[in-house]
Amino acid sequence: MKLDFFVNEEAVTLETQPQRRLLDILREDLGLTGTKEGCSEGECGACTVLLDDLAVHSCLTLAAQLQGRRVTTIEGLEKNGELDILQRCFVEEIAIQCGFCTTGMIMSAKALLLQNPHPTPEEIRTALSGNLCRCSGYVQIVKAVSRAADEMGGRV
Amino acid sequence: MHLVGVSHPIQDARGKAAGRTRYAADLVLPRMAHVAMVFSTVPHGYVTSVDASQALALEGVYGVFHCFNTPEYRFNRYRSQYSQTLIPEEPVFARRVRFVGDRVAAVAARDLETARRAAALVQVEYQPLPCALTFEQALEGINCLEGESPIRDEFTMEIGTPPSLEEGLIAVTAHTELGRLHHAAMEPHVCVADYDPDLDELTLRSPNQSVHGIRTVVADMLGMPYSRVRVVKTTMGGSFGSKQEWTVEPVAAVVARQLRRPVKLVYDRAAVMRSIVCRGPMRAEMTMRFQPDGTLVSLDLDLLSDAGGYIANSSDYVHTLVGKMFRCYRIPYGRTHVRLVSSNTPVSGSFRGWSSPEVALMLEHTMEKAARVLDMDPVQLRLKNVLLPGERDPKSGLPMEEVRTRECLLLGAERFCWTEKRREDAAFNAASPRFRRGTAVACGGHGNTYYPRYNDFAGVEMRMCEDGSVQVEVSIHDHGCGTGMAFQMIVAEALELPIQQIRLKEADTAHTPFDFGCYASRGTFVVGRAAQLCALKLRDEILNVAAQKLDTTPDRLYFDGPSVRSKDSPEITLSYKDVSWYALGTLCRELTAQEKHAVRSNPGVTGTHFAHVEVDTWTGLTRVLDYLAVHDIGQSINPEMCAAQVQGAVQMGCGAALREEIEISSNGQSTCSLAKYHLMNAPDLPDIQVELIQDGRSQEGPYGAKSIGEVSFVPAAPAVAAAVNQALGSDMGRIPMTPDRIMETIAKEGR
Repeated sequence: MKLDFFVNEEAVTLETQPQRRLLDILREDLGLTGTKEGCSEGECGACTVLLDDLAVHSCLTLAAQLQGRRVTTIEGLEKNGELDILQRCFVEEIAIQCGFCTTGMIMSAKALLLQNPHPTPEEIRTALSGNLCRCSGYVQIVKAVSRAADEMGGRV
Repeated sequence: MHLVGVSHPIQDARGKAAGRTRYAADLVLPRMAHVAMVFSTVPHGYVTSVDASQALALEGVYGVFHCFNTPEYRFNRYRSQYSQTLIPEEPVFARRVRFVGDRVAAVAARDLETARRAAALVQVEYQPLPCALTFEQALEGINCLEGESPIRDEFTMEIGTPPSLEEGLIAVTAHTELGRLHHAAMEPHVCVADYDPDLDELTLRSPNQSVHGIRTVVADMLGMPYSRVRVVKTTMGGSFGSKQEWTVEPVAAVVARQLRRPVKLVYDRAAVMRSIVCRGPMRAEMTMRFQPDGTLVSLDLDLLSDAGGYIANSSDYVHTLVGKMFRCYRIPYGRTHVRLVSSNTPVSGSFRGWSSPEVALMLEHTMEKAARVLDMDPVQLRLKNVLLPGERDPKSGLPMEEVRTRECLLLGAERFCWTEKRREDAAFNAASPRFRRGTAVACGGHGNTYYPRYNDFAGVEMRMCEDGSVQVEVSIHDHGCGTGMAFQMIVAEALELPIQQIRLKEADTAHTPFDFGCYASRGTFVVGRAAQLCALKLRDEILNVAAQKLDTTPDRLYFDGPSVRSKDSPEITLSYKDVSWYALGTLCRELTAQEKHAVRSNPGVTGTHFAHVEVDTWTGLTRVLDYLAVHDIGQSINPEMCAAQVQGAVQMGCGAALREEIEISSNGQSTCSLAKYHLMNAPDLPDIQVELIQDGRSQEGPYGAKSIGEVSFVPAAPAVAAAVNQALGSDMGRIPMTPDRIMETIAKEGR
């Protein structure tokens, strides 16, 4: 199939199979390796990206679902060499260890803040419930998202 | 100190946040083939034929490798040191398969999708053999062929002097049984191998815990000179012990050499869960004898352990367990009897803590039961029996040094409101028809190095660049917990340089000095100390060169930040750059230092954890309401990272205590999906509190540091398990305490 969609605000046209996973399109066809594969079945959340501003598992999203839609990956958050507030807060709050869950975690947090700019710690934990982190106990991650929400002051 | 003890984001946090950091699975090389595996579908049997014709007919398939068309390369996945004489029991491609998930064939193709499609087309026929899936079946030896014994290792070990009189002692016996655990490092196992047939050089890139260990195994297996096998440690997406056994590297090496092109082998989650390694199952009966006042007098342990499909490290693991028993409590006499069996299940092996967490589950379960039998407060019972400064580890004979378990208990009990919580639980339970609450404590000890089990040392080299910044060559293996940053901080502190002036790359056998790898929590304590000493040596070298430049002696000079000043001429200041230029331009040499550090101590390092849980007696579900971990860490190098690691260990411990288990079904299939293996996620956990006690400094660690990565996991599952038993007034010893097991206990014992 001919696929026309947007990745990080750029128009992309690809000749691909309708059943090809978005994860493979991003990592292999477009070289966007910031999106990670941890379980291949939507359990770990490492492959989370935004599809029209909603968090989805790119390992469970197929090419056929993408026509005309907007995909945002972790690479799309940094603007002009400057990290997004969420990314910076993850760094500064020491919410990053091995980093394999980080990009998916940040994308889920991004989706949350787009929907709910002032989440409570409980709402943050719920929004991140599909993202597994094995290195931490989520304490710094929740703090990072909380602080990012404060710093953004409602602007995402 | 201005850097050590101040929290810093780890060295690659920014790259990881941006999605730019490259992990091994992100690497692409020209002409690279992708490899997919064919795993055994039977738990025990002989491969009688492999028909790859359909697979090879697919466009883009480069080759299918299996035991009938590839030289019989064998290795030992546990071998991590050149001097270990372990039997190479494991073939790269098995002819006799020993568990569902054993490697049968590898398919290489132009892309992963083609490789996987081709792998599904490989037809394998088996001649099944009887299989053992449980302890009982393994003990019966139903899977043994002629000449094989069901007991693969058995020993009795006695430490200390038996009590002269058993009369008047109170004996408490507890049964503990542990299930299999999955490490669940978020990054699956992967290796990129590149073979240069013209130079006969092999390069392996993987997230691993010992580049030199892999080099030993792969070079010996292929009959190559060690110097022609290069192993590079890539950014690691977590390990927890799973990446210290070689499973993907030997396969990738063989396929790359056969194909004469680079290959990438990535396991998916199912393969990682089934075919790599798990924390093996154990069954234990432990008896402690106490004086009526709660003083522990002796301990008996009868342990049965299952190695799984291959023996791998299981024999060493259970030997180590005996030593780990004596790292926390004063045990005047300990006797252990251990038996090891081998079944047709996933391979048991290294798991964070390397038997300390397992033995802690046994010790703390028995201790918990003893507190009830003796009618003593669990904190008081532990206070009476924990090892104190000045005492020795009776197994190793080494001093515990400034161990702070007592202080951990006292501080924790106060911060956790121990007495109040226990009282409130009792009132809550009396009033609640459905929910039960329990508060419990657990202690656990670990080590900081292999020593004295093996001689342990590390080497470090440094060179000062022309501008005074410093390059460090050291074989670190960062698991993702920021070893790289910790080392930059240690070196920067010693040289009084900003962290950005220190460059440090991870282990690479082509460039960094020999090292045993990241095991036994030795990273900071051993290798970090070597880095500190090397930095101090470089400082001496700076003074020597500066003295030559100023035509004086080093004792007339002193450091003022990253510059050298003269006691005799206050107006003179030499920057590191000035000194480096003088060395290069006038003395015709580079400013370098080389240092090694051989360890001679292994101080006591312990943690004390407090858990408060609520059990739903209608569903068997347990919620962790509150948690405090107190750790005796010596000097923490990067405190917030230490706390984060401890919280991660608590997350893992809560899972291990309540829900995580790889189960084996009657056909030998094991749990191989995260949909069925439940990790604790963000809503499952409370805001885990951490306290670090930092005055119990080690003599040998850098700035007094002790270990944290593994010891943090030791008391976690025991604390949660004890809290559940406290809530229910039960004596469950089967871990994890899943809802089903809790409901079964309630049905049997009542609430």
